[in-house]
Amino acid sequence: MRVYDRFELPPEEAALHRRAVRLEWWTIAFFAAAVIVLALTLGQSQAMKAAWIEDMLGLVPPSAFLLAARYRNRAPNERFPYGYHRSVSIAFLAGSVALLGLGGYVVLESLIRLLARERPPIGLTEVFGLRFWLGWLMIGVLSATIVPGILLGRAKQRIARRLHDKVLFADAEMNRADWLTAGAAVLGVVGIGAGLWWADALAALVIGGDIVRDGVRTTRSAVANLMDSRPRVVDGSQVHPLPQELLTIVLDHDWVTAAWLRLREEGHVFVGELIVVPRPGTDRLVERLENLQKLARNLDWRMHDLVVAPVSRLET
Amino acid sequence: MRRGVAVLALVMLVLSACTWPRDVGTTLADVRDGVLRVGVTEHPPWVSVPDEGPPSGAEVRLVGQLAARLHAQVEWYPGTESELMAAVKDRVLDLVVGGLDAKAPWTKEASLTRPYVTMRTIVAAPAGTTVPDDLTGVRVAVRAGTADVAALTSEGAAVVAVPEITGKEHLPVVVGEWRLAELRLTPSPHELSATDHVWAVPPGENAWQAEVERFLLSLSHSAVVGLLADAEQAEAVR
Repeated sequence: MRVYDRFELPPEEAALHRRAVRLEWWTIAFFAAAVIVLALTLGQSQAMKAAWIEDMLGLVPPSAFLLAARYRNRAPNERFPYGYHRSVSIAFLAGSVALLGLGGYVVLESLIRLLARERPPIGLTEVFGLRFWLGWLMIGVLSATIVPGILLGRAKQRIARRLHDKVLFADAEMNRADWLTAGAAVLGVVGIGAGLWWADALAALVIGGDIVRDGVRTTRSAVANLMDSRPRVVDGSQVHPLPQELLTIVLDHDWVTAAWLRLREEGHVFVGELIVVPRPGTDRLVERLENLQKLARNLDWRMHDLVVAPVSRLET
Repeated sequence: MRRGVAVLALVMLVLSACTWPRDVGTTLADVRDGVLRVGVTEHPPWVSVPDEGPPSGAEVRLVGQLAARLHAQVEWYPGTESELMAAVKDRVLDLVVGGLDAKAPWTKEASLTRPYVTMRTIVAAPAGTTVPDDLTGVRVAVRAGTADVAALTSEGAAVVAVPEITGKEHLPVVVGEWRLAELRLTPSPHELSATDHVWAVPPGENAWQAEVERFLLSLSHSAVVGLLADAEQAEAVR
């Protein structure tokens, strides 16, 4: 066994990962542009402000992904003997907490405005000598941010499932929340134009609620990840089938009388311990144990770091 | 669900295509062929509020023009800015004027219109004097008790505070750009400040705000300068 084993994605997955990195750079470019353009057209609409804040937050997951992408591949060393895979989880947690906090802020702010019966003003604007209602410009800019959000989100979700990348998946979810937000903000601005003072704050409240829900879900998932919970599939809907598969294969060996497996997720890969009870008098035990480890690693590229330990008795 | 929202948005648009944007209340409808209630605050030459009689000044004349467009009768309500803004918040007043700055802190109470004119405060020279490129140590006359005193001090000039700029100081003077012609002054590149001027309307009365802004944005810079110069002369006569 090689200690300080460096992890590489298989060629196909590595190509996918490079594509994801490219997509994330596009996402950053898109959100940076959206934040600037929205800031220029930002009126006193609460819903538009909420959409703007969400666009700023939209920069967090892709940045986390790209930052983690620089570290995750580094070989383990004396200081970090478990390697750098966890950098992905830390990035994930940081992004989730930011999401939660700002969602709470949007909810609070729009509730206060709704209760104070504040009426948002939107006046005229002038662009290239053309004079028109600023609301039209706001609606135009918001609508323009919807299409790239949908396309980026879909592409990333597909890759995230294949790569078992939770940061990428959370980012795709965020893109979805983001274009829904923009849609709600358009309705809010239309409401202001129609003289419905509550429409805007209500739209902001709905958006804020959605951001909070997203934040709670991703924070829970990130904390569970750092707590070494049982691996789940990338969207969190069910437990990952790989550990059970591996255990079944191990128990198929006739020299193994019992086995117990404990795995955790570290970024893309699974790491853990396999404890086996060999039949008494088994010959070439060390070799068999080493073969078991090789077998596990060949089963799936996600299976990276596995310690196989023999014991005489298992109590569960 | 998504289609329902789209249809709803479309219906909302079509229903209200006649006047867009609409007021949350009814300000524009009330003012048209009705009464325009205007809060005025002393700020010559934009607005002067005498103890007796109606107010005068450049913006008072402009409000008159706006009221004529809408066939409205104007009622004037003098007060301080904080009094008037509290009243405009709940539509007790329809409009507040008084040389308001776009950076005014009233955005919680009122909606400020788009700036309709920018007026610069500059150092200018009366006939027979010149303004050097560097103001350090130069004696410059400025109206006492204004922010211009501080701006001038920070340029290093020797401040000569006077109660009123008359153009007879035989010194470079600090004036609003509209007084250049009246006092026969030569402008210098020293600009102490530039103020974007706005009016205040009740928040959420977007049809009314759009109507006021359409009127204000149709004004030219020179027209406003002319009105300000007229107002200065009327003030001097009194």
